[in-house]
Amino acid sequence: MCGISGIVHSENIGRNLFNSIRNLEYRGYDSCGMAMLNEGELDLRKNIGGIDEVNALENLDKMQGSIGIAHTRWATHGGVTKENSHPHLSYKQEFVIVHNGIISNYQELRERLISQDVVFESLTDTEVFVNLLDESYAELKDLERAFLAALQQIEGSYSIVMLSTHDPEHLYCVKKESPLLLGLGEGCNYVGSDLNAFLEYTRQAIVLDDGEYVVLGRDDYQIRNVQTGEIVEKAVMHIDWDVETSKKGGYSHYMLKEIFDEPQTVRQALKIPREQISGLAEMFTKASRAYLMGVGTTFYVANISQYFFSNLADRYYPALSSDEFSVVTVESGDLVLALSQSGETYDTKTALGYAKTSGAQTAAVVNVMGSAISMMVDQVIMQGSGPEICVVSTKAALAQTFIMLRVALELGLMREFLSQDVYKKHQQDLELFPEMIQQILNEQSGFVRNIARSTSHVEHWLFLGCGVYYPVAMESALKMKEVTYQHAEGMPAGFLKHGTLSMVEPALHSLFFVPLPEQKVLHDRTVIAMEQVKTRGGTVIGIMFQGDERALAVCDQAVQLPQMSPLCAPLAQMIMAQMFSYYAALDLGRNIDKPRNLAKSVTVG
Amino acid sequence: MKAVILAANRSTRLSPFIETRCKPMIRIAGQYILENTICFLKEAGIHDIVLVLNHKQDMIRQYFGSGQTLGVNLEYVVQDELKGIGHALSLCRSSLEKKPFLLVYGDVMTDYNPFLSILQTYSETDREVALIALPESSKEFGNVYLDHEMKISRLVEKPQANQANYVFAGMFVLFPKIFELLEENDHNIARCYEQMIASRGLQACLWEKGWIDMIHPWHILDANKMLMSSWQTAEIDSTVKLLGHVHLEGAVRIGPGVTIESGTVLKGPCYIGANSYVGNNSLIRKFSAIGPNSIVGYGSELKNCVLFGNNDVGRLSFVGDSVLGENVKSGSGLTTVNHTVDYSRITCSSNSDSVETGLVKLGAFVGDSVSIGARHTLGPGSIVESGKVIADCITL
Repeated sequence: MCGISGIVHSENIGRNLFNSIRNLEYRGYDSCGMAMLNEGELDLRKNIGGIDEVNALENLDKMQGSIGIAHTRWATHGGVTKENSHPHLSYKQEFVIVHNGIISNYQELRERLISQDVVFESLTDTEVFVNLLDESYAELKDLERAFLAALQQIEGSYSIVMLSTHDPEHLYCVKKESPLLLGLGEGCNYVGSDLNAFLEYTRQAIVLDDGEYVVLGRDDYQIRNVQTGEIVEKAVMHIDWDVETSKKGGYSHYMLKEIFDEPQTVRQALKIPREQISGLAEMFTKASRAYLMGVGTTFYVANISQYFFSNLADRYYPALSSDEFSVVTVESGDLVLALSQSGETYDTKTALGYAKTSGAQTAAVVNVMGSAISMMVDQVIMQGSGPEICVVSTKAALAQTFIMLRVALELGLMREFLSQDVYKKHQQDLELFPEMIQQILNEQSGFVRNIARSTSHVEHWLFLGCGVYYPVAMESALKMKEVTYQHAEGMPAGFLKHGTLSMVEPALHSLFFVPLPEQKVLHDRTVIAMEQVKTRGGTVIGIMFQGDERALAVCDQAVQLPQMSPLCAPLAQMIMAQMFSYYAALDLGRNIDKPRNLAKSVTVG
Repeated sequence: MKAVILAANRSTRLSPFIETRCKPMIRIAGQYILENTICFLKEAGIHDIVLVLNHKQDMIRQYFGSGQTLGVNLEYVVQDELKGIGHALSLCRSSLEKKPFLLVYGDVMTDYNPFLSILQTYSETDREVALIALPESSKEFGNVYLDHEMKISRLVEKPQANQANYVFAGMFVLFPKIFELLEENDHNIARCYEQMIASRGLQACLWEKGWIDMIHPWHILDANKMLMSSWQTAEIDSTVKLLGHVHLEGAVRIGPGVTIESGTVLKGPCYIGANSYVGNNSLIRKFSAIGPNSIVGYGSELKNCVLFGNNDVGRLSFVGDSVLGENVKSGSGLTTVNHTVDYSRITCSSNSDSVETGLVKLGAFVGDSVSIGARHTLGPGSIVESGKVIADCITL
C-alpha cells in the first residue's frame, strides 16, 4: 500500500505536491519523497518517517519546479530505509519514477541488469523498472516507446508515474491492478492513487482502467491501451464530495471527526436509490447459495449482516473471512457479496477472483470510487461515506452495516417475510436514525469518556453480546485492539459459561452490549451472563438503554442510551463502542489515527 | 490580536481561600494561575492583554504591574459592580479597536497551551471560535451540541442528569460584533452565544488535554496534579543544600536556597519553593507542592497537597490531599485524616455550606494565616476559615 501523486502545471508546485502526498499519507507512512524537474535539473529528496518528519529534514514543500512526482510508502519489498523509499532514480539519472504495487518478476530482471553492470541503490522491485527505462531509451531514443518497451518486460501489479529529463512537459503514467486516477484542472493536470491526491485542487476526475497508460501534459492528456496503442475515450466524473469532509477541522483526531460524521454518512446511505438496494436483494433471491465476505472490520460487518438477513428475511447466508474463503466450493449460480471500504483489500480481491473464475455472481459494497473491487464485481453499491482518513474504520463501517440492513429489509419484503406495513415501519425507523446518532453523540460523550478514562489501564477485556449484539461485540473488540493496543476478546455472552468464565476476576473487565428490554429473550440471556461475571467478582460495564433497571443493577458503570427501535439499537451501540475505544486510546496517548503496524487498506497478501 | 482576561469574579464556593485573594491568584507549584495563562498567551504571540479586575485587585496590580517582567503589556479595567461576564466584557469595548480578540475566563487552568489550538482553528475557519472540553462532570457548565462540521449547533445550560457532553472551556475568539449583541441582550453573555450559534455560527475547537475550572477548593489539588503530571524533568537549583543522604526520584523541582536534611525522601513529581527547609527523615510524596519560605519539620509525611507558601508544618505531621493557605503554621503532630473508616464518599463542609465531593480521599482546606496548636487532627473534608487560631491540644 502506497500513495503516489504527480502534477504538471505552469507555476511552481512544490507546496501543492507536498500537500497532495500529505493527503495520501494514510495510504502508507513509513517513508516518502518527491522529485521535481527544475530548469532541466532533477531535484530528488526522500527520507524515512512520516510526511511532516521528512519535510522537516528535506524541506519538500520548498522544492521548485512546475512538474513533479511524489510518493508515500508502505514497505512491501525491502525494509524501511532512505534508499528503498521513492521516487527511484535510474542509474543514468535520466528517469525518476514512483510506483505502487508489486513487480513479481523483479528478481530475474535485476540479475540480468546487474550482469550488464547496472548499479542498484536499493532492494526494491521499483528500481528494476526505472533501470529498464534507461536501457530501452538508449536503444529506442523515444520516450513513449521506451516506456512501453520497459512495461512489456514486467509482470505483477503496478501503477507507475514517470518523469524524465528528456521531456520536461509530460508525466507518463500506467495502471495495472493498482489504483490510479487523473485529475483535470485548468492549465494543470494531476495524477494520484486516489481522489485525495488532488481533491483540494480539482473536482474533475478520470478513473483509469487496467492496461491503460497516459501521457499527461499541462493542457492535454492522451489515454491509450498498452497492448494495442489505441486511444481510449474516458468519461470525466465530477466529484461532489465536500472538501471540508476530508479535513480535520477543529478535531484533534480524524477518528473522532469521523465518528461525528456518522449522522451525515448514514443520511448519505439513506439516499442510495431503492432500485440499487433491491437490485442487490434480487441477486440473493436468484442465487442458489450466497456468501457474505469481508476481512477485519468488514468481516464483522458481514457477521452483523448475517443476523439482519436471518431476522428480517428468514434467510441464512454464511459470513466468511476473505482470507479463509477458499474453504467453500463456489459454483455458477452462487452469489458472493464482498464488503470492502478501500475496494483494494488484497484478500477480498483474491477471493472475489476465485469466485468469478468459478462462475459465481459477485457483488460488493465499497466506499472508494474506481477501486479494484468496485470495478471487478457484477454489481456494486457505492456507499458514498466520503474519505476516511483514520486507519481505524468508524463511519465507513457503520454506513456499510446500515446499507446491509436496508438490503435485508428489501429482501424480507421480496420474500414476503415482512408485510408492507412492517417494512414501512422499519423504513421510518431508519429515516430517524441520523437524528438519533446526533443526539447520542451530543448527550452521551461525557459518560463514555468518564468510563474510558477510569478503565483505560485495563489490559484484558471481554466484549459480550447475544444475537445481533454478538457480532457488534466482536467488531467493537477489534476496534479496541486496533486503537488502544489492549487485549479485547469478543464472544457470545452465552459462550462464557462454557469455558471463559474461568478467567473472571476483578482485574478482567467485561463490556456487555445489552439489548433493549423489549427484546426479552436476548435481554434475559445477556443479563444472566452479566450476573455470572458479577457474582465471580468480575467488573461489569454495560452499554444499555434507559429504563433498564435490571441490567443497571448488575453494572459497575454504564452508558444508558435513549430508547430506540430494535433495528437501530445494535448500530447505536457500535457507535458508543467506537467512542469508548477512542477515549481509552486518547487517555493512553496512542497514535490514534495511525496505530502502530497498521495501514489503511491492506493491499498485500 | 488582543486578549481579555476576566479576573474580577468572587466565587464563594472556593472558600476558605477566596476571602483573601482572587481566583487567578491561587498559587500552584510556585506559579499563579494568572501567570500561567499570561505565559501561554505570550507563547501564542499575544502581548496586549486587558485584565478585568474587582475582588482583591491590588494583589494582581502589585504582582504583575505593567506586565513588563513577563514581557507583555497589561491594561487594567475595573468592574465596580460584579454584574456578570457580559458586563465585564462590555467594559473592554474601547480597548479592543474593533478587531477580533481572545476572551479568557481567568479561573480555568490547562496543562498545555490552548491558545495555539484556538488560534489555529480561527485561522482555518475564519469564524468565531469556542474552546470546548470534556470534564468529569458537565452539569456545572454550558453543554454544547456539535454538528458534523464541528460547529456548535446548540447550547444547553446545566443539562439533565442523563446528558453529558463537551462544555465551553472558557476561551473564545470573538468578533467586535459581540458588543452590539451584548447591548441588545442586556449584557447576558449566554444569550449572546445562543444568538451567535443561531445566526452566524460558532466554531468549536476541541481541547483534549488537561483542563480544570476552579470551582471548589479540591480543584486546587486537581490542578496541581494536572500541572505536575506534565513535568518531564527534574530541576534542582544549584544553591540547594542536600545535607547527608537525601533520596530523590522522578521529576523533583527545588527552588533556590532550599535546605533538606539527611534521611529525607522526595518522590516526584513534587515541588519545594525557594528558601524552604525540610527536616530530617521526612517523606515528600507525589504531587506535593510546598510554597516558598516554608518549613517542614522532622519526620513529616506530605502527599498530594498544596502549601501556598510561608508555611510551617510542625514535626511528625501528616498532610495529605489537603491545601494549606499562606502563613498557615501548625504545631507538632498535625494529622489531616484523608479518608473515612469505611472509605465512603466525603462531604466537604464549612459553617455555611456542605457539598458532596464524590471523592473517597480528601483531607483539609485551611485558610490563610491560620495557627494550629500541637497534636490536632483535621477530619476529612474539613474547612478552616482564614485567620483562625486553634489552641494546643494538651492532655494535662
